[in-house]
Amino acid sequence: MSRVPSAYLHYAAKRLLQAVVVILLTYVFTFVVVSVLPGDPVTNVLRDPQNGFGEQEIQEIVASQGLDQPIPVQLWNSLTRFAAGDLGMSMRSSRPVSTLIAEVLPSTLVLASTALAVALVLALLIAYGTRFLPERFGQGLLRGAPSLFLSVPNFVIGLVLIHTFGFQLGLFRVIEPESFWATVFAAFALGIPVSAQIAEVLIVNLDNEARQEYATVARGRGLGQARLFFRHLLKPSSLPVVTVIALTVGELLGGSLITETVFGRTGVGSLVQRSVSTQDLPVLQAVVSLAAVVFVLVNLLADLVYPLLDPRVKLLGARRPREARPVNPPEATA
Amino acid sequence: MTARVSRSFFPVHAARRRLVASLGVASVAAALLLAGTGASQAADAPRNGGDVTFLIDSLGNTWIPNNSAISSFQGHIWGHVTDKLVYVDENGKASPWIAERWEQNANATQFTLHLKKGVTFSDGSPLDAAAVVANLDIWHAGRKSEGINPIGLFPKTYERAEAVDATTVKVFFKAPTLGFIPTLGYHGSILISPKTIALPAAQQADLGKTAGSGPYVVESWKEGGYVKLVKRKDYQWGPAAVGHTGPAYLDSITYKLVAEPTLRVSAVRSGQADIAYSPSPQELKSLKNAGFGVSTPRYLGFVNGLAINTKVAPFDDLRVRQALQAGINRQEIVDTVYTPDWKLATSFIQSNVPGAADYSRLLAYDPARAEKLLDDAGWVKGPKGQRVRDGQPLTLVLNSNPYLATSKAIDELLAQQLGKIGWKVVIRAYDVPTYGEKVRIGGAAVPAYEVTRSFIDAGTVAGILTDANNGENWFALGESDKKINELRDRIAGAGTAEARRPLLDELQRYVLEQGYFIPRTQIVQRIYVQSPRLKGERYNGVAYASYYTATKSK
Repeated sequence: MSRVPSAYLHYAAKRLLQAVVVILLTYVFTFVVVSVLPGDPVTNVLRDPQNGFGEQEIQEIVASQGLDQPIPVQLWNSLTRFAAGDLGMSMRSSRPVSTLIAEVLPSTLVLASTALAVALVLALLIAYGTRFLPERFGQGLLRGAPSLFLSVPNFVIGLVLIHTFGFQLGLFRVIEPESFWATVFAAFALGIPVSAQIAEVLIVNLDNEARQEYATVARGRGLGQARLFFRHLLKPSSLPVVTVIALTVGELLGGSLITETVFGRTGVGSLVQRSVSTQDLPVLQAVVSLAAVVFVLVNLLADLVYPLLDPRVKLLGARRPREARPVNPPEATA
Repeated sequence: MTARVSRSFFPVHAARRRLVASLGVASVAAALLLAGTGASQAADAPRNGGDVTFLIDSLGNTWIPNNSAISSFQGHIWGHVTDKLVYVDENGKASPWIAERWEQNANATQFTLHLKKGVTFSDGSPLDAAAVVANLDIWHAGRKSEGINPIGLFPKTYERAEAVDATTVKVFFKAPTLGFIPTLGYHGSILISPKTIALPAAQQADLGKTAGSGPYVVESWKEGGYVKLVKRKDYQWGPAAVGHTGPAYLDSITYKLVAEPTLRVSAVRSGQADIAYSPSPQELKSLKNAGFGVSTPRYLGFVNGLAINTKVAPFDDLRVRQALQAGINRQEIVDTVYTPDWKLATSFIQSNVPGAADYSRLLAYDPARAEKLLDDAGWVKGPKGQRVRDGQPLTLVLNSNPYLATSKAIDELLAQQLGKIGWKVVIRAYDVPTYGEKVRIGGAAVPAYEVTRSFIDAGTVAGILTDANNGENWFALGESDKKINELRDRIAGAGTAEARRPLLDELQRYVLEQGYFIPRTQIVQRIYVQSPRLKGERYNGVAYASYYTATKSK
């Protein structure tokens, strides 16, 4: 057994290195993409006819920001600052990027974790329902729920929730988007599509597990439905769900952009939205890199947790981690 | 409709058989109720207290005063947090504010401002002559090395300002600058504490650290989220023109960002907020019918229209430009795209600008004249009704202005109207960054640049039309048109408004007759929907709402 921890360490170190490379590449990629986009952000703002600047004044202002330098020089300056932990200044607002992110991060974390909880509960309810709900109470319909949830865009869900619960029923005030109930409804808007993916995997696995001998035996012993579900079927069926949850982090981050805008929340998503529309490169880079960090870390965590949940994987995983992956290897999307 | 439906929701259920009748009764009752509260409120003296929430589509980019004060969004907040030297009302009339009175020399190159005594910024420092000089200097020059811009519309002829004593400022210009006093009432010319001005840009960008002398101060704010203002109890220096100089009546004003226009309006309808900014024009009628206040103040500036690039064929031909001027049915634009709140253009400047002339006869819809002009210019109607010359179809490319939501709808209507006289219209719609990159005034590929632009003094007009003094050369005329150049120089050099008026008249007639500028409508860029409980707000010369004089009933 002493080889296992060292193999883990080796494995973890390798994955960490990969993570750093992914983050660096993300940073460079973002920089290049934003730099080659048509138009440069500063002169676009300055050229707004309301400002009435002459061409020479615009050039002076551009030079003062170092934006007249060649792209590789700008990239190098930006990278060295980033490596030193300095996220730079927002070109749009002239405030430190780290301050901007610190302001919006808590709101997004609350929304994302609430949405994940909503998604898990919904997925569990749907999965339980598809297994044990009598046909005449819509078991078949329930099986269609995940595809329905996935196909309705989350801004539509958001708008329906706002109009129904915010305006018609008055359960929350739209102008206080960070309040408890507004957060819960925003979490539903964000969590519903995510729950679909989790439910889908859970249903398939429950079906598989239910066909196993032990389940038949358990049923034969006269075990109640709920007991069978929670004590026997759920745990083995949940293993791939861990992977799916890790993958939904991306979904939560991406979905928060829309959900935050619709609900008027001030989070990372709305910061990205404003930064994209003004091509605020330092902020975009910091946020995209942050997202890469989160995504890579969560997937790494899933990889490390997975063998612990399933002893069969653990043995294989210690020696040859690559084959020990679940059906959807996380790095395929990282 | 939401408000009415939700109000009548329960009565309808209670009396299902009389559904239609009860719906009607409920909505009439609601309307009477709303009208009643309005009337009783108007009779009362202004009452103190109350909090209002203003829903806005954006809070702009930065809060560095110079860089943000001319934004369409932040101007709302600056208008409450800061004061100006001069008040300019919705008719362009300049009146005293922090400057109690002023004098100028005969040729408008030297001005003396006399300041109100006892005015302080919210950080405690006095608003004295030294503070005014510090403001004038940074408006003129900015601090470019730090990314603090000059104020684009501040007169470029500025030389220097000096504090004669604590309440007297003398300002010197290199050339006659008749527009200086009105410019002091412009939304960019906000007075900021010298302590704030001395701060580095990164700290000026923190709205909470910026001190003005206005009736409200920033209590808290979150970027992209909200700005909460609370009233300053010791405020005593409001502009006399608004009929009130003491502290504001409302306790607080919260500007809250809600990006979705229907959500902003629904929130006001359901009573969750008091004011919704920028609703869509199509909603206004039903909102008015439901008893909500709808304001569409015009601002001082150019009308919404097209500046024609005379270097691009076929617009180098006077007859083609005149045909375009006559081939547009402006009344139909107002009727179709807008509501009666929008007014027909009478010149290329808004009719409320002092010095605006009425040349509506030059803007009359006359398709027969347009067709004749095009025939004369050699553009012959082909079999499908499309005009062609030398194998080339008669084409106009319109780049819809992404800053004005209704712009594309107007362009589509223009395409129909011009199509009838054989003109092919190509519409290009870009997002803001692409538009900023591709569409420039006078750009070789831009035959018609859509203008929506505010200014305070008509004197600035002359500086924009040609390329003299770094002018923007709207019609790509350069120095080629002797008449427009002569008018420009005489307008710029005029020492008094009386001497300038006939010259401005002549300039407007000439520009319209030559088809250099093709007006579409007078512009209403700022639209407000508000709760009937809120009364007494004022709109200044650039159509910003001020709630300094407003009250809210229970």
